[in-house]
Amino acid sequence: MNETIERQVDLTLPMIPDIEITAAKAAAELAREIGLSPDQIDEMAHAVVEACINAREHSCCVDQRIYLRFVGSSSERRPKLEVWITDHGRGFDLQEARLRRTQPADAPKKRGWGLQIMEAHMDEVDIRSSPEGTTVHMVKYGESTQS
Amino acid sequence: MTDELKVSVERRGTGAVLYTKGYINNVGGEEIANRSYELMDQGVRTLLLNLRETKIVNSIGISILIEIMEKMIEQGGKIAFCCLTPVIQKTFQIMGLAQYAPIYSDEESACTALEFETARKK
Repeated sequence: MNETIERQVDLTLPMIPDIEITAAKAAAELAREIGLSPDQIDEMAHAVVEACINAREHSCCVDQRIYLRFVGSSSERRPKLEVWITDHGRGFDLQEARLRRTQPADAPKKRGWGLQIMEAHMDEVDIRSSPEGTTVHMVKYGESTQS
Repeated sequence: MTDELKVSVERRGTGAVLYTKGYINNVGGEEIANRSYELMDQGVRTLLLNLRETKIVNSIGISILIEIMEKMIEQGGKIAFCCLTPVIQKTFQIMGLAQYAPIYSDEESACTALEFETARKK
């Protein structure tokens, strides 16, 4: 029998300094419950931090809130944590943001690494942005529990 | 709720080890920069950043570490890191910092490579 246990946490957080740590801790708590490993939790936490910082620094939203949803599922196959981080800000041009990426060839680029860090630490990253806001959807899978 | 960064320094001859504890964000990064620049003003040209009690960093904090590294290199010095968590080390590699500053698994091997005096037992 494939029993799947699913837990969901919704949070609305103010855009204040270091609020990303609150978000990361809440996500980490759920990730622990569904059985992600410490390193996987750590990677997911760093990705959540970067997504929240992007929302706080660049969204220019009027309501000054970040909306988070964490859904953790643990089945006989493998644990899975999904994260949605939404702001109601002005949005951004994802293509342009990707083009601005540079390789650290001559000198290390100082800013604008958030997207790459999220993609490197998570298994899936999908960003939807419009003038009404931005949602970052990320997925982290745990190790398979099947032998 | 936040892990405010604490920084402590140990001089090792002409070099220094800077220990961090807590979250390296913009504020934490500035604190590390201030302590590093003080040491540079005192003539330190080899700096080891031991991050053994730092479990989380963000890209803004790391960007400040890159600035410190650039300033040290300009002055003919060098910076190294040790005791990084696997995720922090991966993040350093993504941001290119690992290309310019060596990373050691522990303080002892870092001190040997940097020709520091032997680390004191804490």
